Amino acid sequence: MAINQPSDNLPLADVLRAANGLVTTGLIEDWALGGALAAIYYVEPFATYDADIFFIPKGKGLTAGIPAIYAHFQAQGWQVEREHLLIRGFPVQFLAAQGLTEEAVREAERIDYEGVPAKVFRAEHIVAIAASVGRAKDKARIEQMLQQADLDKTKLENILQRHKLKLPIP
Amino acid sequence: MKPEMRQKLAREPFAEKIRKVAQLIRLAKTFPRRTAKPQPAAK
Repeated sequence: MAINQPSDNLPLADVLRAANGLVTTGLIEDWALGGALAAIYYVEPFATYDADIFFIPKGKGLTAGIPAIYAHFQAQGWQVEREHLLIRGFPVQFLAAQGLTEEAVREAERIDYEGVPAKVFRAEHIVAIAASVGRAKDKARIEQMLQQADLDKTKLENILQRHKLKLPIP
Repeated sequence: MKPEMRQKLAREPFAEKIRKVAQLIRLAKTFPRRTAKPQPAAK
């Protein structure tokens, strides 16, 4: 299948392979899957329309790495649509990690997805990040994670305390 | 859906869950949510 041909299935293996390629080419230091797809690693599946890849840039700065990342993929034939990169028609957003999200990347769980090595945010970090963002959908995600994921409560408390966060009152 | 069923879905392998996400996306595109009819303004 051509590199940017839309896929009927969710092309997650291609997304993860593309992220690994950024480390190999030296554009980023490390990365992990975050957002809704990371939550789905721990809870029941639900519809989501993009993948969030959090990365630790090589250099520091507000837009560190992002122009170079998009230029790298465009040179390979990927399409860019606003802030998303389209991988086989599936939107992927690359987000520079900092603070809590950088810690989440560094401590992410190593997985193997269809033969592709990858990292996924740990459940406790997903809950803490949702608490830090605080939109209605983040509150719903916290509730779902508390109900369905095997959370390490001590680890979660530790993260929340260090980042001065509190879980919303149900 | 019963909580036990949701818990069972949550325990499925990640690749299987991703296949289900793709199915849910296709379903959502095939049967988009209808927006509610605009209500007449309350007097």
